[in-house]
Amino acid sequence: MSGFAPAGDPVIPDYGQASDCVINNGFFCTDWFASQWSTVFWPPLVDHIYMVLIAVVVGFLIAFTAALIAYRKKWLAGPIGVAATFLYTLPPLALFQLLVPFTGLTLLTVEIALVCFTLVIIFQAVLAGLAAVPDDVKRSAVGMGLDTKQLMLKVELPLALPSIISGLRIATVLTVSVATIAAFVVDSGLGSPILKAVSSPFNTQFIAAGALAVLLAFVLDGLLVLIGRILTPWTRVRI
Amino acid sequence: MTESATTTMPATSTARSTRNSSIVFDNVTKTYPGQTAHALDSLSIEVRSGELVCLVGPSGGGKTTALQLVNRLVDLSSGEIRIGDTNIMDLSPIELRRTIGYAIQQSGLFPHYTVAENIATVPTILKWDRKRIEARTKELLELVGLTPVENWLKRYPGQLSGGQQQRVGIARALAADPPVMLMDEPFGALDPITRVAVQDEFLDIHRAVGKTTLFVTHDIDEAIKMADRIAILKPGGLLAQYDTPAEVLARPADDFVAEFLGAERGLKRLALTTVAEVLAAGRDRRGSSPVAAAAGSTEAGNPVSAAEWPEVSATMTLREALSLVSAAHAQGARVMDAGSHLGDVTLHELICPPADDPARTTEGARI
Repeated sequence: MSGFAPAGDPVIPDYGQASDCVINNGFFCTDWFASQWSTVFWPPLVDHIYMVLIAVVVGFLIAFTAALIAYRKKWLAGPIGVAATFLYTLPPLALFQLLVPFTGLTLLTVEIALVCFTLVIIFQAVLAGLAAVPDDVKRSAVGMGLDTKQLMLKVELPLALPSIISGLRIATVLTVSVATIAAFVVDSGLGSPILKAVSSPFNTQFIAAGALAVLLAFVLDGLLVLIGRILTPWTRVRI
Repeated sequence: MTESATTTMPATSTARSTRNSSIVFDNVTKTYPGQTAHALDSLSIEVRSGELVCLVGPSGGGKTTALQLVNRLVDLSSGEIRIGDTNIMDLSPIELRRTIGYAIQQSGLFPHYTVAENIATVPTILKWDRKRIEARTKELLELVGLTPVENWLKRYPGQLSGGQQQRVGIARALAADPPVMLMDEPFGALDPITRVAVQDEFLDIHRAVGKTTLFVTHDIDEAIKMADRIAILKPGGLLAQYDTPAEVLARPADDFVAEFLGAERGLKRLALTTVAEVLAAGRDRRGSSPVAAAAGSTEAGNPVSAAEWPEVSATMTLREALSLVSAAHAQGARVMDAGSHLGDVTLHELICPPADDPARTTEGARI
């Protein structure tokens, strides 16, 4: 018995039956997309959502706190704004490159970069919202005996909400998009199937992953619009 | 909803305050940091309990400063302000403000609060229980004429007209039943017709609840109409005159006051007296036959005979009646009330009214 003897039948791996669409590399193969959904698309989509939510929530907490401090201490508004704008202008890939030596090829690296991009948008939105609260409203609130904390919680923040929500919307949509670049650092998120697909000639994978990212951005944006509507009923009533 | 909804006084309405709630300015001066000129210069006036005093003057006269000194939105430079027997500096600003009703131009309502929530602002921070707040809110909406109250409670300020917003603003200022009200040009942004309606309603409310009220306005006609006494401030924050409207109009203290009152000062004075008052005074003088007396004074060659004199109502001011008489080229007017002829007033009586109610003119003393 020689292990080198040719087999009776040629050994050709069985890759299964491909549809005409896949064989001809059509623009978008629905059947392939459906069959690969649970392995190629769904897990990265879930990862992507987590990645975006963590970045926006952490970014909001930092930027919101910074905006409240800048609102109280006006002289800080300039320096904080410049620092946040600087972080915003960094190219994402360069920022990853900069962070990897410190935090490695981890989700932490990705999140730090994503948070940096949300800061300036949310910071400016909160500050602009607070600045736009009408003076006569503040004057009457103070004149009626609201203290500083009551003024902030009962009057200034609620009236700044529309501006804060629109800032969150922009930050969220931007983060959904920037998070696809995270695939250069970690094999996670919708960037991962896109990155793998660009090096192959097969269309469906990157078109589907890209479309999912766009869809996700629309859905999250819509959710924020809905939350905004629920939280600011007074903005919709007009005679 | 109509702008001129009738004001009804609920039986449970705020009782007239019996304790001393006067506002006393004692040699009060305010200079803003970085400025050499005084915003307010040694102001000494007393607003008696239940009195409505208007602060008037050109911009830069310090009238809003004077008002905001009382609720410590602005801090005193020197002097003393007392509400009742309490020096305002003895309370914390927050505590003090919660005992003072405050209404401002553009109403300052919270756009994100409903009408009910706006009115409940101070009661809520004073932690009144919910039932009491609810009852008080409804009572106040009735007081300011926004009825039926259920239609208004859940609306947002953005859904109200300017006049309605201002009514809610007044209700909110009255919410915690403060003994003292500060009003900073509350009707300044309203159109003339709405303004007159809201002024009338506010006067009714003021008479009903008797809050000591300091009222800033740049409109001298509004001050003449509303005030028990008028304090006229001139640039540099100096008090030019503090007296009843009648006294200020009849005897301006100096050229500044005379100029501020304007060339129509004499006509404005006629707005202080009603036709009914002239009619009553005329009866006293002439006995019980005013028609004969009036006809007797009619001169020959009169273009319009007494029978064709224009009709005026007893509640009109002399200024309004005079306007009608002038338009009709008549020498007098027939006073009518619900179709019945009460008597006649002559042109002479309209132009030279009997002396004002002594109660109004003797209150002009300064402290």
